[in-house]
Amino acid sequence: MEKGSSRSKILIFFFIPVLVLFGVGLVFGPLGSSFLGRTPPSIFQVPRPTVELPAEPVFHVSHFSITNTLLASWLTILVLAVLFFVLTRKMKLIPGRRQAAAEAIVEGLLNFVKSVAGEKHARMIFPGVAVIFIYVIANAYLGLLPFFGSVGVIEHGGKFAPLFRAANTDLNVPLSIAIMSFIFVESWGMRALGVSHYLGEFINVGQMLTGLKELLKGKIGQGVMNVAFGFINLFVGVLEIFSHLIRMLSFTFRLFGNMTAGEILILVSSFLIPLAFSIPFYGLELLIGLIQALIFSGLTLVFATIAVSPHEETE
Amino acid sequence: MGGFASLGINLPLLVVFVVNFIILFVLLRLFLFKPVLKMLDERAARTREAMELAEATKKEFEQARETVEKQIEKGRQEAQAIIAQAVQVGERLKEESRQEARKQAQAIVDRTRAELEAERDKILGDLRREFVDIAIAAAEKVIKETLDKEKHRKLIEETLRESITFKKS
Repeated sequence: MEKGSSRSKILIFFFIPVLVLFGVGLVFGPLGSSFLGRTPPSIFQVPRPTVELPAEPVFHVSHFSITNTLLASWLTILVLAVLFFVLTRKMKLIPGRRQAAAEAIVEGLLNFVKSVAGEKHARMIFPGVAVIFIYVIANAYLGLLPFFGSVGVIEHGGKFAPLFRAANTDLNVPLSIAIMSFIFVESWGMRALGVSHYLGEFINVGQMLTGLKELLKGKIGQGVMNVAFGFINLFVGVLEIFSHLIRMLSFTFRLFGNMTAGEILILVSSFLIPLAFSIPFYGLELLIGLIQALIFSGLTLVFATIAVSPHEETE
Repeated sequence: MGGFASLGINLPLLVVFVVNFIILFVLLRLFLFKPVLKMLDERAARTREAMELAEATKKEFEQARETVEKQIEKGRQEAQAIIAQAVQVGERLKEESRQEARKQAQAIVDRTRAELEAERDKILGDLRREFVDIAIAAAEKVIKETLDKEKHRKLIEETLRESITFKKS
C-alpha cells in the first residue's frame, strides 16, 4: 500500500504536470502553430536556434578574445578543484562520506586503468587517463546546466553571445585534450621502453644499414634482401607516425561531433516543442557525456598500453 | 587555414586550452590523486601489516603451545621417574628396617635366652644345694647315725650330678 501510494504521488506530482507542459508546448509551440497555421502566443515565441561552430567571443583582452567556451572550461576547472579540495581535505584511514566519494572515483578509475594496462604501468598511466575522463565528463555535464547557452551578452551588431557554452563543443577543447593525450602516450612509451627503443619503431633503419654493409662487402644476395626489407621497415615506420597523428584528429572530431550534436539536439527540441519536450534529451546527453568521457580516456589508455608494451609483442 | 578557422580552430585559444588542461592536471594531481592514492596505499600497507602480524602471532602461539606441551610431557616423565625412584627407595628402606628389626629381635631373643639360662643355672645351683642339705638332713634323720658328713655330701653330690646330667641330656 505504501509503495502504491508513493507511486501514485509520483504520477500526480511529476508525470501529469510534465504531460500537461508537453501538451501545451506541442499545441502552442512553433511546431503546433505551424501545423495549425497561426502565430504562436508571444510567451512561446522562442528565438530561432542558430548554430555557431566557432566559439563566440564574450569580451576581449587586448588582442586576445575570451570565448564563452574558455569561460566554461575555467568554470569546470574551478568546480573540479574546489570539489576535490573539499572531498580530500581531511584524509583519514577510516574514510568519511566525502573522502569515500573521492576514493571511489580514484579507485574506480585506477581499477579501470589496471584492468587494461596491467599492474606494472598502471600508476604511470593513471593520472593522465583520469584527468581526461574527469575533464571531458565535467565539461559535458556542466554544459547541461540551465545558465549555459541562455545567459549572455548582446554583441555589437545585435548578435547574442551566451556567457557560457559547453566547452567540448569548441573544436579547440577536444583538440587540446587530443594533443595532451598524444603527448601522454608518446612520453609514457618513451619512459617505459627508453627513448631510443621507442623511437626505433618509427625510424627503423637498422636492417637497411646491415643490408648496405653486406652489399659493400660483396654479399649481393643477402644484401639486396636486407635493403628491400629495410625499405619496408622505413615505410612501416612512416605509417606508424601517421597513425599516431591521425588518432588526434579522430579523437578531436569524435568528441566535438558528439557534443555539438547533443547541443543542437537539445536546442532544436526545445525550439520545436517548448517546455517539457527536451527532458529526455537531457537524460540522453548525460549518457552520451559519460560514454564520450569513457571513450576518450579508454582509447588513450589502450594506445598507452600499446605504447608501453615492448614492440616484439605488438607486431 | 580558412577551413579550420571556420570550424573555430584558433591557435592562441588552443594554446590557452592546452594550458588549461595542464593546470587541471596539476590541480587534480595535487587535490585528488596524490592524497587519495597515498591513503589507498597506506590502507593497503596497514592491512598487509595487520595480516602479517596475525600470521606471526598465530605461528608464535603454535610454537608456544608446542613448547608448553613438550614441557608438560617432560614434567610428566620426570614425575614418573621420581615416583619410581621413591618407590624403590621405599622398598629399600622397608627392607632395611625389616632387617634391622629382625636383627634386634634376634639380639633380644639371644640376650633373653642367655639371661634365662643364667637364671636357670643359678636356680639349679640353689636348688641343688638346698636339695643336698635337705637330703642330708633327711638321711641323718633316717639313719640317725652320724655319718661322715663330708663323705656323704660327696656321695650325694655325685649322685645328683649324675642325675642332673641325665636330666639335662
